[in-house]
Amino acid sequence: MMELTLQLLLKLVSSFVGTLGFAIFMHAPKRAWLPASAVGGVAYALYWALQQFSLSEPLAIFVAALLGSLLGQLLARRMQMIATIFILLAMIPLVPGLGLYRCMHLLAQEMYSAGADAGVRAMVDIVMIALGIAVGSFTFRLFVRPAVPGKGAAK
Amino acid sequence: MFCDDNSYMAPLHLAGRLIMENGGETYRVEETITRMGRAFGFTEVESFAVPSGIFISYRKSDGSIETAVKRVQRKGTDLTRVDAVNAVSRRMEAEQLSCEEVMALLREIEARPPKITKLGLVAAVALSSAGWAIMFGGGVRDSITAFCVAFLGQAIAFALDKAGMRSFVSTLLGSFLGTLLPMLINQLGGGLTVDATVAACLMPMLPGLAMTNAVQDTLRGDMVSGISSATSAVLTASMIAGGALIGTTVFNLLTGGGLL
Repeated sequence: MMELTLQLLLKLVSSFVGTLGFAIFMHAPKRAWLPASAVGGVAYALYWALQQFSLSEPLAIFVAALLGSLLGQLLARRMQMIATIFILLAMIPLVPGLGLYRCMHLLAQEMYSAGADAGVRAMVDIVMIALGIAVGSFTFRLFVRPAVPGKGAAK
Repeated sequence: MFCDDNSYMAPLHLAGRLIMENGGETYRVEETITRMGRAFGFTEVESFAVPSGIFISYRKSDGSIETAVKRVQRKGTDLTRVDAVNAVSRRMEAEQLSCEEVMALLREIEARPPKITKLGLVAAVALSSAGWAIMFGGGVRDSITAFCVAFLGQAIAFALDKAGMRSFVSTLLGSFLGTLLPMLINQLGGGLTVDATVAACLMPMLPGLAMTNAVQDTLRGDMVSGISSATSAVLTASMIAGGALIGTTVFNLLTGGGLL
């Protein structure tokens, strides 16, 4: 248990640092750096923890993306910035870019079935993230009053 | 009001171009243009954006329709600029701004120099790769290696970019180095978790976000944008896989040939 907690902390901190680097590289506004990276770290840590409790990969990634989306919207509202900044950055540790690459790499080495397997897995993860973000924004809109009157129905 | 009906196209296009060039979503481009057009007092404003172009039309007060098309190209990601343009369009909703005032605000956003130097950006990429190495299950040595390789890769990418090279060349080269160097360092007794280090080095280039955006665009009903982002994501993934394949082959040649 002790070791699990330590590992969780390590995942949290490492994905925080990774997201922070991206936030700077993507020219996010300076006051968004730390909060956005924190959301990224928390979302990834949740994803990792859910996997430890043997939740299926797609479900774990969906829940993590949902949390990232909700926290991102909340922060965006509080800090008066576009939600994209927080949501985009929060998804970076979750997004299976590596899976897409692995798929292409295997295909290039003529390992077609392994490549297809990696590709489908990556695609499922990506769809789950997109769904998580969508459900997050939908829920947020249901429960939180739009900031500008009459803006609520807009996309 | 010094503007005649024809001069409103310029600020609308500039706003759309700024959002698109700096990595904003296509729906945000369309939404911002429509919002600005309404704020200018036009009741009929339509815009259609795809990653390579923006189409705008509005009905003028004499009843005729003004339409214009603008080619755009995604350059990089600058979220501060996207946020700033969005803030201008919000401000226009709240207070009456003239065409010239909006144009001046947008030009100022366009001309504003980036707050972080190129060296700072390179360091940021290296820092993030150092973090990913740990996240992917590597140790301190992996983290340090990923930091150095990503630093080198991004520095080369900026240099190539400055020389006017297309971005896929730097992606190819970056993934080549990102695969070869960790394997070589490991071979020479670096004691790395090669998988984690390679993954961390490639992370800044991987098109996972582009792919996620593509799915989101499609879910939203923006099919053209979705397909176009997905295509570019697959192309980037192929470039990275190609670079990695060359890197692995070179490594095998070096070690198999008894050089190392």
